[in-house]
Amino acid sequence: MLEVHDLSVKYGYINALNGIDLNVQEGEIITLIGGNGAGKTTTLMAISNLVAKDGGHVFFKGMDITELPAHKIVQMGISHVPEGRKIFPLLTVKENLIAGTFGSKKKSAADLENKIAEVCTLFPRLKERIRQAGGTLSGGEQQMLAIARGLMMEPDIIMLDEPSLGLAPIIIEEIFRLILRIKDSGKTVLLIEQNAAMALQVADRGYVLERGNITIEGTGKELLTDERVRKAYLGI
Amino acid sequence: MEYFIAQIVNGLAQGSIYALMAIGYSVVVGVVGLVTFTHGEVIMLGAYASYYAFTFVGENIFLGIIAAFFASWFIGIFVYKICYERFFDSPRHISLICTIGMSMLLKNLAQIVFGPNMKAMPQPIALNFVNVLGVRINTIQILIIFVVLSLSLGLYIVNNKTQWGIRLRAVSQDKQASALMGINVRRTAMIGNSIGCSLGGVAGMLIAIYYQSILPTMGGSLGLKAFSSAVLGGLTEASASALGGLLIGLIENLGTSVLSNSYRDVFAFIFLVLVLIIKPEGFSKKVGG
Ligand SMILES: Nc1ncnc2c1ncn2[C@@H]1O[C@H](COP(=O)(O)OP(=O)(O)OP(=O)(O)O)[C@@H](O)[C@H]1O
Ligand SMILES: [Mg+2]
Repeated sequence: MLEVHDLSVKYGYINALNGIDLNVQEGEIITLIGGNGAGKTTTLMAISNLVAKDGGHVFFKGMDITELPAHKIVQMGISHVPEGRKIFPLLTVKENLIAGTFGSKKKSAADLENKIAEVCTLFPRLKERIRQAGGTLSGGEQQMLAIARGLMMEPDIIMLDEPSLGLAPIIIEEIFRLILRIKDSGKTVLLIEQNAAMALQVADRGYVLERGNITIEGTGKELLTDERVRKAYLGI
Repeated sequence: MEYFIAQIVNGLAQGSIYALMAIGYSVVVGVVGLVTFTHGEVIMLGAYASYYAFTFVGENIFLGIIAAFFASWFIGIFVYKICYERFFDSPRHISLICTIGMSMLLKNLAQIVFGPNMKAMPQPIALNFVNVLGVRINTIQILIIFVVLSLSLGLYIVNNKTQWGIRLRAVSQDKQASALMGINVRRTAMIGNSIGCSLGGVAGMLIAIYYQSILPTMGGSLGLKAFSSAVLGGLTEASASALGGLLIGLIENLGTSVLSNSYRDVFAFIFLVLVLIIKPEGFSKKVGG
């Protein structure tokens, strides 16, 4: 469904990505793991065309989306929940959720309310805070809002950039359970994580990114038992 | 005492024009993310659009509002295309400098096209005095306050009660996140910029009616007053900017009643300097980025 071919990105003289290839099939959870500065965020930004590519192509549902402007890529059905949440601080929780629908066809007022109610069943906390300004939510609540907002457009694929960053273990488990539920609802997930152990447990397949290169790839199970992965990312 | 109350009424009327300019200014700064130095010229051109509508079509206030609104709307698009859109990925000060150049260009073109001299502004409604609760107020002042309140209310409704408002506010707060929502950030910023310019243009018409005169160089101090008012709102908060405009209007009129009329502009800029010294971040309730 999503294919990345020979993708390279440079920031000035720094090579952030050196021709990586990856593909995501419909209905899969794919995880991209790697240390700090490996280029994970850059990969998602390049797919969304928020950074200029130095080379390579991105295909979605067979279409070349390499040069499409960012908002058009979203409108094709790719939801990107960015690193650091990027909640609109002065919009209420509800308005943030409504903003999440701008990438899809305009919904009727009733459909919009239904959709909001639906994502609120995934995140009951958000329902209690529906009129609160996004910027006043706690970090964990903001992360939930960011994911909920990413689901509002009913995307075909959702790309999550470190959804567990800075959250308490209990909340992290909640988020991973939710990722499985997103998959069960028929969506495809591209998950970036530092928390390699948990990511690999939920993932169908995974890629390991090191200094801008994909060094290892395989099923979640294979990677969990891979000696190099265990040493470098699982601390075993 | 009566004189004092009259000056307060004058201050409120004039202040509400400044408020409208400042609201427009804050909308522009919000969506494009930069201060602009062209707002004064947009105000001036809005005033001229209504001047020509009054002169050549008819002295109808609605006509004047429509002419000023749409003329500044298109000037807003022009400024946006030249000064912002082309420089989205360049350092921010490039756009800023471009608005300074644009301001000079428009001011000088206006002198060539409209003539450099002051002209009498047609008066679309008759000047009469009425008593409201014992306070003498004239019909022009009522008109001004009515127009400003209507447009502010309109903006409030668009901003807070429509999905377009959510788009505009999202783009003001975080352009990258907005793009990730599927919002066409450039188009939204362009329309937001035009909305702000249109409010400025209508305010330009009102100030020309208020002073009964119009001049190609009128934009200079008006743009600075809009900026000074908006500083009170941390530049992007419309309601606090409006309050800033009202305050400047009041200070000016009370100040001129104590000192000479020729110090009029001094008060606005003393106000700006004081706000910057005492509370440089303004009085907006904005939190975070
Ligand atoms: N805007 C930028 N300008 C210059 N260099 C950048 C920029 N953004 C990222 N980089 C560099 O590119 C490399 C990859 O960064 P990236 O953010 O993709 O890493 P990451 O894998 O997401 O790391 P983390 O897990 O810490 O978020 C890093 O070396 C980083 O310093
Ligand atoms: Mg990252």
